[in-house]
Amino acid sequence: MPVDPKQIRAKDKVVVDGIELTSEWNRMFDQRPVFDYDVDVLDKIASIPGAESIAWCYQCAQCVPVCPVNEVGDYGPRKIYRRLQFGIDLLTDDELWKCTTCMNCLRVCPKDVNMIDIMPAVREEAVMEGHVPAELQEVFENTFEYGNPLGESPRKRADWVKDAGVPVPIMKEKKEADILWFVECYPSYHPRGKETSVALAKVLNALGVDFAILGVEEKCSCDSQRLAGERGLFEEFAEENIKTFSKYKFNRILVTDPHALNAFKTEYPKLGGEYDVVHYTTFLAPMMDRLELKNRLNYKVTFHDPCYLGRHHGEFDAPRQIINSLPGVELVEMWRCRQNSFCCGGGGGGMWLDGFMADHVKERLSENRVREAVETGAEVLVVCCPYEISRFEDAVKSTGNEGKLIVKDIIELVVEAMGV
Amino acid sequence: MPNQDILVIGGGPAGLEAARSIGDLGYKAILIEKRDRLGGTPDEASYAALTPDLRSAEEAMNAMIQAVENNPNVDVRLGTTVVAAEGSVGDFKVTIQNGKGKETLNVGAVIIATGFQHFDPGRETQKYGYYEYEDVITLVDCEKMLKAHRFVRPSDGKKPERVCFIQCVGSRDRRIGNEYCSKVCCGIASKEAIEIRQLVPDCKVFIFYIDMRMYAYWEPDLYWKAQEEHKVNYVKGIATEIVKKGDKLLVKGEDTTLRRPFEIPMDIVILSVGMEPSQGTREMAKIFGLKQNKYQFIEAVGAPMDTVSTSVPGVFAAGACTGPADLEDSISAAGLAAMRAIKAVRENGTKKAS
Repeated sequence: MPVDPKQIRAKDKVVVDGIELTSEWNRMFDQRPVFDYDVDVLDKIASIPGAESIAWCYQCAQCVPVCPVNEVGDYGPRKIYRRLQFGIDLLTDDELWKCTTCMNCLRVCPKDVNMIDIMPAVREEAVMEGHVPAELQEVFENTFEYGNPLGESPRKRADWVKDAGVPVPIMKEKKEADILWFVECYPSYHPRGKETSVALAKVLNALGVDFAILGVEEKCSCDSQRLAGERGLFEEFAEENIKTFSKYKFNRILVTDPHALNAFKTEYPKLGGEYDVVHYTTFLAPMMDRLELKNRLNYKVTFHDPCYLGRHHGEFDAPRQIINSLPGVELVEMWRCRQNSFCCGGGGGGMWLDGFMADHVKERLSENRVREAVETGAEVLVVCCPYEISRFEDAVKSTGNEGKLIVKDIIELVVEAMGV
Repeated sequence: MPNQDILVIGGGPAGLEAARSIGDLGYKAILIEKRDRLGGTPDEASYAALTPDLRSAEEAMNAMIQAVENNPNVDVRLGTTVVAAEGSVGDFKVTIQNGKGKETLNVGAVIIATGFQHFDPGRETQKYGYYEYEDVITLVDCEKMLKAHRFVRPSDGKKPERVCFIQCVGSRDRRIGNEYCSKVCCGIASKEAIEIRQLVPDCKVFIFYIDMRMYAYWEPDLYWKAQEEHKVNYVKGIATEIVKKGDKLLVKGEDTTLRRPFEIPMDIVILSVGMEPSQGTREMAKIFGLKQNKYQFIEAVGAPMDTVSTSVPGVFAAGACTGPADLEDSISAAGLAAMRAIKAVRENGTKKAS
């Protein structure tokens, strides 16, 4: 008889004779002995294509201290492996949804236990079996129906262009451009995202870049939906996007969203879509000297490395080059930066699981990160991933740091320095 | 004329390699083996496959035996023991005894390769019921079954569904007196686990360990292979006791990474017994007056830079008679001992001739 999964976790709070016992100390009130190792479950999960490496864990536990979710709760690949060895089925286990695929565990794993492959593979199976948190299911449905996870009208995807104040050509009319700018969903619809899109449009115009966007023809890259288990949806959308791309002539794809960067770089080629893709920070860094930066900003800032730009694709320098080229801006690093950057909690479906996660963690990852940013003494938390701006702005409020820290996209600082 | 013959005592891997090396270099080796056949512990204990490459032990040992038997410079004496020795380097008089009686050999140097014996899990602090429960066996008992390609529950001949190994039995234990790690048991348990999984694919195999000690290539070749390809389950925390429950053995211990006690029913429990100096090793140390370490292994007095010289000039030791050793260690040390022994008899001869 395997252990009841509910009994594995320590209770949040146990009071005995007026004394509060926390964490592991109250485990003694649960069923303690293990009466079996139902390793069939481990074999079942490890036989899912993509998830094989979960069975390779030899419990060195290096993943645990670098796992962001462990920082605010109890998690890590090592622990998932142990639960599997105990016969706890990951397909129906809440643990399946806690990973943000931030890749910090894989960075340190000597055995190549690859959560970036394991998570989408097992989640896909769980989604097919109907075990998926309701709030995530809603996002899948929104994406399927509207082409974006926000559930916004696909016809309004390019509405932000009207407020840009600079030309933003649409591919359908222009047919051909040096740069195809893939705007992605949050920068198209989210109020703060739209502001960053306008800012990027201004900078591209100032640099005289020959670019165009897909407008209403653009569909979500779906990379986070894929990592959250919706491979079918991802592939369907990828095929549509690839078809749309094929109608136009361009040399490079410019992305605002590191998750789209990941989709185009690692997944689209498997589906026949090979492109030269570049994140806007990588694109702009070498051109900063061509911009006229009239305003001195006098900000002390800190920078948050997005998981899917930094760890996943190795770009740590370009955003820093841009920040350092802005007059008057002083960059102070958080102690978890570059390779060891701390996840904002938005990746791998985490963007849409905040309600679910609230039952499993003491605070959001974004809140933990905002505290760290405040500790540096910076006034501005600079980001360059569309998930982060909304997550961190919420976290600034919920941690009571309003007035101490503001969150800005790197491109907003550039525009501020340009004074346009 | 000084005597340049070299006596090799023990016909296991180290003794065979030492005798062959001496013969190959044109010197005469007399190889003494107390059993009536060569091959040493791998043969005596019916090893099935060798670590780390799972090569057939019989095939590998036969190749070594052939090399010695076909070597005109090696004089093999089976069923023979050493009963007394005197003299010094260049001039040892060693009395041997066999069915035909006693004989004294004049040799210039001696290589002792009398090896180890497996720890007896019924000894002293035994807590696993080895002599109580038929289904509690050792690595050696397991080898015998694997060699016969019939891995079954000894008590009733049934196919096992669950099997576990308990590591460090008789090793790393102050109470028993064996504080050392026996070096090979982690690898051998993993190797046997792989073989069990191959022979009985439905059987779940667990290895309960304190530390997995898989040096060098044994890590990928045995440990990773067992876990990743053969789905062997490793659990940190060795069992404390075994009790019989119905026709199963209830293995009780603590799963240390989960900090929970476990009580798991098993069909067969395999005790990963370590190494102790063999009876022959203890006797040779006495007969030749060799310094022994606190565990009664022959002390390699120049170790780690010289792994084969003993406290008596002209007497060398190779293999597991100096401490836990795997095949690679034993064979390497045997070659070195042969070289050192030849150097000893040559130098001695030069001195006497001049």
